[in-house]
Amino acid sequence: MSSAWSREWPAPRRVASAAAVLVMLAPPFYLDGYWLLIGILAMSAAVGAIGLNLLVGSAGQLSLAHGFFIAVGAYTYCFAAGESEGVGGGVDVVGLNLPPLVAAVVAIGAAGLAGLLFSPVASRIRGIYLGLASLALVVLGQHVLFNAATVTGGFNGRPVPDLTVSGFELSGDDPALNLLQVPFGERERMWYVALACLCGASLFAVRLLAGRPGRALALVRDNEIAAAAMGIPVARHKRAVFVLSSLYAGLAGVLLALAFHRVVPEYFGLALSVDYLAMVVIGGLGSVFGSVVGAAVVTALPLLLSRYSSQLPLLAQPGESGVDAGVAARFLYGAVVVALLLSEPGGLVAVVTRLRRRPTPPPPRPPQQPTPRPGSAKDLATKGEAT
Amino acid sequence: MTAAGAIALHDVTLRFGGVSALDGVSFEVEPGTIHGLVGPNGAGKSSCLNVISGVYRPTSGTAWYGEHELTRLPPHRIAALGVGRTFQNLAQSGRQTVLENLMMARHHLTRSGFVTSGLGLPRARREEREHRARVCEIAEFLGLGDRVDTPTGVLPYGDRKRVEIARAVALEPSLLLLDEPVAGMDAEESAVIARTVRRLRDGLGLTVILIEHDVPLVMQLAERVTVLDFGKVLADGTPEQVRTHPDVVRAYLGAEAEPGDEPGGLRDGGTSR
Amino acid sequence: MTRLVELLVAGVSLGAIYALIAVGFVVVYKGTRVINFAQGSMLLLGGYVVATLSPDIGFWPAVVAGAAASGLAAVVVRVLMSWSSTDDHMVLTIVTIGVDVVLATELIRRIGPRLLTMGDPWGDDVLNLGPVTVPQARIAATVTAALLLAAFFAVFAFTDWGVTMRAAADDPETASLMGIRLGRVATSSWLLGGALAAVAGVYLAAFPSAGLDSHAGVVALGAVPAVILGGLDSLHGAVIGAVVIGLVEALANGYGAELSFLGRGFGSVAPFLVMAAVLLWRPSGLFGTRELTRV
Repeated sequence: MSSAWSREWPAPRRVASAAAVLVMLAPPFYLDGYWLLIGILAMSAAVGAIGLNLLVGSAGQLSLAHGFFIAVGAYTYCFAAGESEGVGGGVDVVGLNLPPLVAAVVAIGAAGLAGLLFSPVASRIRGIYLGLASLALVVLGQHVLFNAATVTGGFNGRPVPDLTVSGFELSGDDPALNLLQVPFGERERMWYVALACLCGASLFAVRLLAGRPGRALALVRDNEIAAAAMGIPVARHKRAVFVLSSLYAGLAGVLLALAFHRVVPEYFGLALSVDYLAMVVIGGLGSVFGSVVGAAVVTALPLLLSRYSSQLPLLAQPGESGVDAGVAARFLYGAVVVALLLSEPGGLVAVVTRLRRRPTPPPPRPPQQPTPRPGSAKDLATKGEAT
Repeated sequence: MTAAGAIALHDVTLRFGGVSALDGVSFEVEPGTIHGLVGPNGAGKSSCLNVISGVYRPTSGTAWYGEHELTRLPPHRIAALGVGRTFQNLAQSGRQTVLENLMMARHHLTRSGFVTSGLGLPRARREEREHRARVCEIAEFLGLGDRVDTPTGVLPYGDRKRVEIARAVALEPSLLLLDEPVAGMDAEESAVIARTVRRLRDGLGLTVILIEHDVPLVMQLAERVTVLDFGKVLADGTPEQVRTHPDVVRAYLGAEAEPGDEPGGLRDGGTSR
Repeated sequence: MTRLVELLVAGVSLGAIYALIAVGFVVVYKGTRVINFAQGSMLLLGGYVVATLSPDIGFWPAVVAGAAASGLAAVVVRVLMSWSSTDDHMVLTIVTIGVDVVLATELIRRIGPRLLTMGDPWGDDVLNLGPVTVPQARIAATVTAALLLAAFFAVFAFTDWGVTMRAAADDPETASLMGIRLGRVATSSWLLGGALAAVAGVYLAAFPSAGLDSHAGVVALGAVPAVILGGLDSLHGAVIGAVVIGLVEALANGYGAELSFLGRGFGSVAPFLVMAAVLLWRPSGLFGTRELTRV
């Protein structure tokens, strides 16, 4: 019997994934802080991208509110784990001073709760329409972030408390740690935190998509009426996937906050939501692996372009007129989104699959009786009772 | 309220804007029978199925399945009662394989939710295994055994029609609603499907409501037939009764027809659409 | 009292601009079932062209040029979409988001920190009607929008093109079978959407801000609540929704001092609260088509 996950995750790909994870354990021993930071940001973004892909790619619901839910996760963590203090500019914020791990869980839960509150809207309107509707969350969210200064710190934001577990800082340098003669500071530690979260998030999503919920979502996406006729409660699934997507966003928000050490409202605007949409499209709609690829591309591209802008011929330096690294990056991925969607909505993952052009051998079939011709009574006699 | 397992429409009217798709339609289907629903295009046949399966709520009137008032229930609850259906326009997920499409119909028979599936708990895995096995059997029965891992989007039309039926069967229905299951098929394929439908009814004790333009097929397969035209019931009875019913004859042949004339369309399966 | 009247006037004129943008959204949606997320950058493009050309060729010719430029951009997008390997509307909608990113990035880069003037004839002039002071720009906007929309609705209701459009929007399959060239309908609806956005851009540059800056594309988002309120597939709804939203925003802005507890800049956020309320209560909008199926 072909394995339950044979389509999303055939055996060769499972082996490759395991190998990839092993490989990903190595970089903190070899790379310097700059590259580690890119990796941390990419992995955190990947968590968010997987969540958005579940909503957009697998369930066919367009959302531009992902940035909002990421903000909820990030800010709730700061609020829950932070202290009541002054944050500069004459602004005082409140904090609950909870243990960071608890605060992180609370933050993810808050994002899920926010998703739950908006989910009835998600379940009652068409996929594309939700894209427009979700703008309300972004705008309202930005307004709250800029104005509710006692919680959010207003315009200048607030600092992010370290993820300290039993006195050991996971997002900081204290206490000093040396592994295999490599100093394990903040970046090294956060790398593994992000990696662990990404592995868990991916595994959950892959299993979900390969199983009953994934199939239900696929039919909800492709033909709602048929889905209902097959016994799938459509509205409930739309709500559930919206909440799930916001939970992923919440986790991404916590990770990003830990990586940035400060949260500011400007970061969590519409542009962030568009970025995540680009990740999902570029990587491949409906593919967990694609989400990771897309996240890596969209996160790393502007950072790499600006780092090497002096060496790239067409790019202007900061201060010069012309196309600078940030602009170039946006151009590039806007254009790639358009080009990909027009030619291969399956994203980079599908492009690579097509290029390889190796037909995947069908998974081994279960040992079966000789194929009865359709309509043979013998077959019915042995299998027949209806429930 | 109807006898256990019987289907009944009571004076169902379905209006869209100014158009009446159904106008005071009433008929009953005995449990365990194959009931044909025929009529020209636009007569309201698919609308009847849509009302029964809960996709449309009628403007007035009720539909019943045994003691369940279908018109009060959402479609997914009706499906959970054991009402399986096919769609004229093949409502499948083209990117998913035959197996995955059939497994979709197992939704109401399985329980693994988001959390159970996502965590890969043993219960989820066991369910997958068991139901995949069962669904493979159904696929075999409908001649799709060697294509279960092919995405339905690339299959030929005839195979996709079979997938529609297989999916409805995979729901483990007690009532099967078939919307033009042999449209576009040649005589040989149609005959095979007809035999399959009869075998399904015989073996599983299903009630079947069958819409078809292939009138000889319906006449041969169905125990009772309801004829619709312009959203109204023209005739309701055995194939023989319906064939010679004056209103039916008139509808198919025109007003000059004499009672006793047999409409050619009813005899040799006119071209559908 | 004077203040209230002035705010109402401001609201109606803002609503007029939003109406142009909102109708643009709805026309494109009815024609192709796609939401044009690039509407904001088309607005910016139109305004940019007008600002660049008006010193040389005069204001009104520049407006025509701007409308043509945006219309052309819209048509290009539509042609691109027709080459797509899929006709999944969600995928195509995301294409418009990609286009918006590219277009907006380039325009914002060109505009930079500048505030562009349109070279319009009304400038900062005001009209005094008794105790009430009304900027001429607002009157111009309202009149222009009213004329354009009236013309548009007349065309839509009474010409062959309008009937074709409505048929295609209602039932594309049948329309196509009846010989209606869906491609042409689609292209013309995009052309119109783009042109309307450009005209709106010209007036947006007049008020609320004193010129066109790089944020104008985002201001165009303010029309989205109008679309939701009216219903995504209703042209009348778009206009009515736009006027309501314009009034809400103007009033919330005008009474900003009294509403300061709701945060700074509440004025531009208030329409989105209305939008959220509409979504929770009646998602298809006031005039949109309710879904028939019970799924």
